Amino acid sequence: MRLRNHRNYAQLDLSPGPGVNVFIGANGQGKTNLLEAVAMLALSSSPRARRELELVGPVAPMARIEAEVESGGITAELAITLTVEGDRARRVIEVDGVRRRAFDLPGRFRVTLFWPDDLGLVKAGPELRRRFLNQMLVQIQPGYARALAGLKRVLEQRNSLLKRIAAGEEGGDVLEVWNQELVQLGGEVATARSAAVLELQPDAARYHAEIAGGERLEIRYEGPPQDLAEAVHNSLAEDLRRGSTTVGPHHDDLRVLLDGQEARAYSSQGQQRTAVVSLKLAEAALVARRTGERPVLLLDDVLSELDAERRAALLRQVAGEGQVIITSVEAGPFPPELIASAMVWTVHEGTIEACG
Amino acid sequence: MPQLPEPLERLIQELSRLPGIGPKTAQRLAFHLLRTDSQRASSLAHAIEDVKARIGYCERCYNIAEGSLCWICLSTRRDATLLCVVESALDVLAIERTAEFGGLYFVLQGVISPIDGIGPEQIHVPQLLERVRSEGVAEVIVATDADIEGEATALYLQRVLEPLGTKVTRPAHGLPVGGDLEYADELTLARAMSGRGTF
Ligand SMILES: [Zn+2]
Repeated sequence: MRLRNHRNYAQLDLSPGPGVNVFIGANGQGKTNLLEAVAMLALSSSPRARRELELVGPVAPMARIEAEVESGGITAELAITLTVEGDRARRVIEVDGVRRRAFDLPGRFRVTLFWPDDLGLVKAGPELRRRFLNQMLVQIQPGYARALAGLKRVLEQRNSLLKRIAAGEEGGDVLEVWNQELVQLGGEVATARSAAVLELQPDAARYHAEIAGGERLEIRYEGPPQDLAEAVHNSLAEDLRRGSTTVGPHHDDLRVLLDGQEARAYSSQGQQRTAVVSLKLAEAALVARRTGERPVLLLDDVLSELDAERRAALLRQVAGEGQVIITSVEAGPFPPELIASAMVWTVHEGTIEACG
Repeated sequence: MPQLPEPLERLIQELSRLPGIGPKTAQRLAFHLLRTDSQRASSLAHAIEDVKARIGYCERCYNIAEGSLCWICLSTRRDATLLCVVESALDVLAIERTAEFGGLYFVLQGVISPIDGIGPEQIHVPQLLERVRSEGVAEVIVATDADIEGEATALYLQRVLEPLGTKVTRPAHGLPVGGDLEYADELTLARAMSGRGTF
């Protein structure tokens, strides 16, 4: 893997080992930036940057992330280049030197990302839970990334049209075709999410019961109405009044219940975090089952946030086969036998060195 | 950065307004033009002026044209009952290269896009409907791109054209989903045109 001017990495060449890789460094040295770069190659965009411009480091008006990845016996060269153009950054994606659209990148190699943001998965707003499903599905479900990008565009166009119609700048006769596209793409997204949640459920429940002494975890997909076409039709007056689309998978949620109670409202922080760990482990298991290969686990500084039992449950899975990248402020939370078998690196001011 | 002489600065400015040309490339091109002999340079300047002075749009199909009609509308060998609707004149060139299509064209010069304030009127849909009505077109092939706006435009055209009793088709398989027609290779495009189906 090579980074050029990605955030605080002016230049980095790195060959992580096939097993557990532990990156240790103080805060602000570049641990998360490294994980972000790996995640971008799997997802096509940064899971945390608000604007791509912020990814471009101070050395040049251009940043590049590239890596050779191997999946299912097939090797591929993936590269993302960001070029500053005025007040934005233009993104170019290449696979084996050939330019590709953003939604064609995911699926070449897969990651399960777990970082401090995710600790709020149960407690925070529904957007985080939709992102959880999206990040998994773009990597394993052919066509999902395209449908999701399309849906986003349809919503932008439809919302803009609703405002124009309300302002009398446009007749209503064009709206129907945007409704059709909303129903088509929204249906694809909702079907994929619904199937994925059903598939996540048994593993998530099993992991949770193991860590939490038998507590029962249930997850339920709250998707758009079954007859999306009719719902879109019926919401027209409301949509026009608000100037935005009120029905569709962009309002979806994933409900999490513990022993039958809404976890958001009734569970302790500890129980919620157990549910998060269980969901993340179930995600990795689902990706492995669907693709026949374990995803690369990216664990950013989450171990220190977990108590001993939850940490042990996570590390049990980590110690299995497959590539893992963990960052931490200190070596403290890791069992000695894990450190002994891992490749350990130190991160300091945008440089990484092998340790020992 | 040192101040460049005004004419050079202006040339760089103009060049960097062109699509796909960043400030670096604009600079390189400007310095290249500076080195070019003056005959070459003025030939380029004249070519740009000529294209603006002499090329306009066909009154019948909105393709590029030197006179009031384009070379395709002027041809007597085209099948006037077959009409292919495309987004831009570049798409006409792409389809013509396949030599697979013998009908006439209608160039929308855009796609429906509320964000950009573009509706059916801006892409000449009323003129298209009038033409289909008055010229006895038997089949309209809607060859807009397969991206979100191209699909929306195709769906809209289907809705307004079918009541006129004309057959409306869409180039079939092979076109990359979400892809630009302009960039499809010739064989793929030829297959898509001949394998078109109804919606
Ligand atoms: Zn013409």
